[in-house]
Amino acid sequence: MRRSNRVAAAAPGRVAQRTCAALGVAALLWLSNAAADDAADWLKQAATAARQLTYSGTLLYQHDGRVETSHVIHMIDSHGEHEKLFNLDGPAREVIRNNEEVRCYYPDAKIIRVEPRTYRNAFPSLLPQQLDTLTEYYNFRKAETARIAGFETQAFVFEPKDGMRYGHKLWADLGSGLLLKAQLLNEHNVPIEQFVFTDIQIGIKIERDTVRPTYRPPPADWETRMSLPGDVVQQDTGWLVKDLPPGFSKIVEGYRTLRGKVGPVAHLVFSDGLVAVSVFVEPMPQAPQPIGSSQQGGINVYSRQMDEHLVTVLGETPGATVRQIADSVAHR
Amino acid sequence: MGKFHAGPELTPEEISLWMDGELDAEHSARACDGCREAAPMATWEHYHQIGDYLRGCDAIAPGFRERFAARLSAEPTVLAPSRLRPAPTAVAWALAASIAAVGVVGWVALTTMSVPPAAVTTAQQAAVVRPAEVRRPVVNEYLLAHQEYSPTTAIQGVRPYLRAVAADTPDAPE
Repeated sequence: MRRSNRVAAAAPGRVAQRTCAALGVAALLWLSNAAADDAADWLKQAATAARQLTYSGTLLYQHDGRVETSHVIHMIDSHGEHEKLFNLDGPAREVIRNNEEVRCYYPDAKIIRVEPRTYRNAFPSLLPQQLDTLTEYYNFRKAETARIAGFETQAFVFEPKDGMRYGHKLWADLGSGLLLKAQLLNEHNVPIEQFVFTDIQIGIKIERDTVRPTYRPPPADWETRMSLPGDVVQQDTGWLVKDLPPGFSKIVEGYRTLRGKVGPVAHLVFSDGLVAVSVFVEPMPQAPQPIGSSQQGGINVYSRQMDEHLVTVLGETPGATVRQIADSVAHR
Repeated sequence: MGKFHAGPELTPEEISLWMDGELDAEHSARACDGCREAAPMATWEHYHQIGDYLRGCDAIAPGFRERFAARLSAEPTVLAPSRLRPAPTAVAWALAASIAAVGVVGWVALTTMSVPPAAVTTAQQAAVVRPAEVRRPVVNEYLLAHQEYSPTTAIQGVRPYLRAVAADTPDAPE
């Protein structure tokens, strides 16, 4: 069978991912003891730990003056990776991931959103070549050790070299490499978003049933909203970003169907290795659209009308970055 | 007028700075006092409406300010977290809180990140009156789509999906 260019391009990423996965938990322990001072090593270790380890804990998500408490359970078995995330306050929400498929449950609205994930296999979002160039755009340093949720952690910091990105401070469990705390820092070094475990058990035995959806099977009157097949077909959309901030490169381009949108929406993703910025372009909807900037924790959003199109850009970057990208979107 | 320095009427710039939390304690107190007047109050509300619109929030119901002030004065314990910050700022924000819930949120935002999680939770629970939930259905749809490709998902698992589902209202009008 002939392999398309796209598949060929994906192959190195896949190989890298498999190699990564093959390292396993034992290798993690070894890695964490080795002098992993290198930025890429810390990140790869965290990513591998997040995928390979079994853990269960209480997570605080702090942003915009709010604190939301959730519970996270993650396990692997012979069928792959299973993860369950549900909030403990506010309207009930549940996120279930089975390998690459993500389901979001909204019991109050009786809705389940299903997002089949096919990209992540072929394009791991931690791209080796980008990890290698991370330190061109961030100063990386090891910071203090700290005790978090009863675990000894090593903090490390990615300090941006320009105003186009936020700072990141991450705390990794010294034993497993798993991130127990993650902060996004603004230009004044003030945290604007934080994920932190208040308690966590790592490496425990977890029954498969504990990571199944609470609502299984869902009641008959619930609506399941499937993303349509073909959503994630990669193709040239004809859209480009003329003034891309340094360090960002395109990792994905294609069309997808979004709920509430009449036609397919062009979706381009750019990453600097640590964060991503998404560009969405669609025909200008009939209904009035929010135009301008908004922020939620570490996510900045900027929308503008461009002729007959609506351009929406969002990512874990400062507002100026998404705006620069949005303002320079053009058709080839 | 109140007990603070009155001076000339508040300028829109001062109100803007105040909303962004960029006034020091003394000026905050003055701004707070100044907003007892109708014109600055209208500017304050106007600016918040603009902000809400840009963020895609629903408009605050008419009379919200009065109802909030009444409930707040009936619930003095709402200011318990003030010991987390130096007193002058806390007092300034406490006064601001009697005018708009948004002020409380901004202030809590500044304090929550630097205190231990347990204290944060307590502070949140103490805030009896919470502002209306922010609804951004369309942006959340984009966020879900975005999250898949973000390296933050690769290094943290599904945790960052909280951004997309946390304050989400899936059936909100679009």
